[in-house]
Amino acid sequence: MIRMENVSKSYKNGVHALRDVNLYIGEGEFVYIIGPTGSGKSTLIKLLDGEEIPNTGEVHVAGIDVGRLKHKKVPIYRRNIGVVFQDFRLLPSLTIFENIAFALEVIGLDKVTIRRRVREVLELVSLSEKARSFPHELSGGQQQRATIGRAIANRPKVLIADEPTGNLDPEKSMEIMGLLEKINREQRTTIVMVTHDAQLVNRYKKRTIALEEGYVVADIQKGGYIAHD
Amino acid sequence: MISFFTVLGRHIKSAFLSLFRHVAMTISSSSAVTVTLILFAAFLLLAGNISKFTGNIESDFRIHVVLNQDQMQQEQFDSMHSQLLALEHVEKAEFSSKDQELELYIEEKGEAFALYRGDSPLGNAFFVTVDSGDNIETVTQQIKNLPGVSNATYGGDSVSQMVDILNTVRIGGLAFVALLTFLAVFLISNTIKISIYARNQEIAIMRNVGATNHYIKMPFMIEGMFIGIFGALLPCLLAYFGYEYLYNTMGGQIFTSAFRLLTPIPFGVEVCVVLVLFGALVGILGSSHAVNKYLKWVR
Repeated sequence: MIRMENVSKSYKNGVHALRDVNLYIGEGEFVYIIGPTGSGKSTLIKLLDGEEIPNTGEVHVAGIDVGRLKHKKVPIYRRNIGVVFQDFRLLPSLTIFENIAFALEVIGLDKVTIRRRVREVLELVSLSEKARSFPHELSGGQQQRATIGRAIANRPKVLIADEPTGNLDPEKSMEIMGLLEKINREQRTTIVMVTHDAQLVNRYKKRTIALEEGYVVADIQKGGYIAHD
Repeated sequence: MISFFTVLGRHIKSAFLSLFRHVAMTISSSSAVTVTLILFAAFLLLAGNISKFTGNIESDFRIHVVLNQDQMQQEQFDSMHSQLLALEHVEKAEFSSKDQELELYIEEKGEAFALYRGDSPLGNAFFVTVDSGDNIETVTQQIKNLPGVSNATYGGDSVSQMVDILNTVRIGGLAFVALLTFLAVFLISNTIKISIYARNQEIAIMRNVGATNHYIKMPFMIEGMFIGIFGALLPCLLAYFGYEYLYNTMGGQIFTSAFRLLTPIPFGVEVCVVLVLFGALVGILGSSHAVNKYLKWVR
């Protein structure tokens, strides 16, 4: 589902974010990407999302060469993937219902289908009562669930989550994890989750890829957090 | 897949939502449109009337060509007619028989001359129309030199000077309107750019969830169009009712009938339509330009 070959990325300011990364993630997998701040996790997500272009190497997601997409084709590619952002990125002027509906409107679904699907998704992320609220009226955990709802609304093949539990207390984090596992299990959605929550990684053991200074330093199938010095 | 019109309906709906949810921005952008369009309206009204004045005066620009007394035969008239038409800048040459000439004379000087009816002492004549006031003098000279012509006259220097002045005013006014238009577009697109700046995050999010550039732009452009139209409403009303008031107070003319004003209907209405269309166009251009800038910001 995701294939990265010899991917390197450096920024104009001279920072080498990723160095010669080779990665293969199969369909239906649930993978953690861990690593300290500045290890290249965010860059990895931006490459998968099409927000950044690799300097060398290729990034393929769901059969699409993401690095070669034209500016105007990027949004169309993104319809295949769902991204959960750490900072939520909900449209502030739309209600939760409208926010999720928007992601379906842009891909051209009809009204009835959209309504049905949005209700389903709101049910799944337990936000049915908050449908008419605006993002700023919700707590962090609720907003995070809304973004997850939006990300999965069009049944993407891949769900990329950037620190989805980063702003939440442990109890809420477990709630989100439960939700992601459910999506992974029931929809067969491939999930790539960036985190540095050691507790979570140790508790819900999954394939774990560790990044450090732009290199992949570990890829452990059985999972568990790796201590850094 | 859904039809184009359903999508358009959604865009219009979201444009309206946004107009109301960003009321402050709507008002500030609209008032930028309003201020410039009021000035624009004043100049449109002025320029339109000056055009009319010049047209009025120019239509009075006929050369009165009086023939010699020996010119009495129809063949002579025909040949004179074709000679006149052969001259450069001559658009029209109308024959006026000596009897018709007498009638005109009576009309001008009074019934006392009615005695001459049936035996007009005047010569046969032509009224020659030239293409523009600038050429009237040379044409008159040329006609005077034609054999068989007794005299050729027109309004004189004062009239052609008036045309010169009006032409200058008209061209100057046009240049001013062009400049004003440029300023208006700049001002409005800038205002909209500033207000969209606050929403660049929104545009980035739309791309994140898979909205194409075109899809993102549409509601902004519709929004811009409505901002332009809202902004044009006040200038439109001012222009129409203000002009109507002016027209009625002035009695439809300035000093003389040569300066007859254009009637509020249709002229005032035309100006209104131009203002609304112009406002809408500027709004669309302004917001399209502004959104483009932010679309390119993030991938």
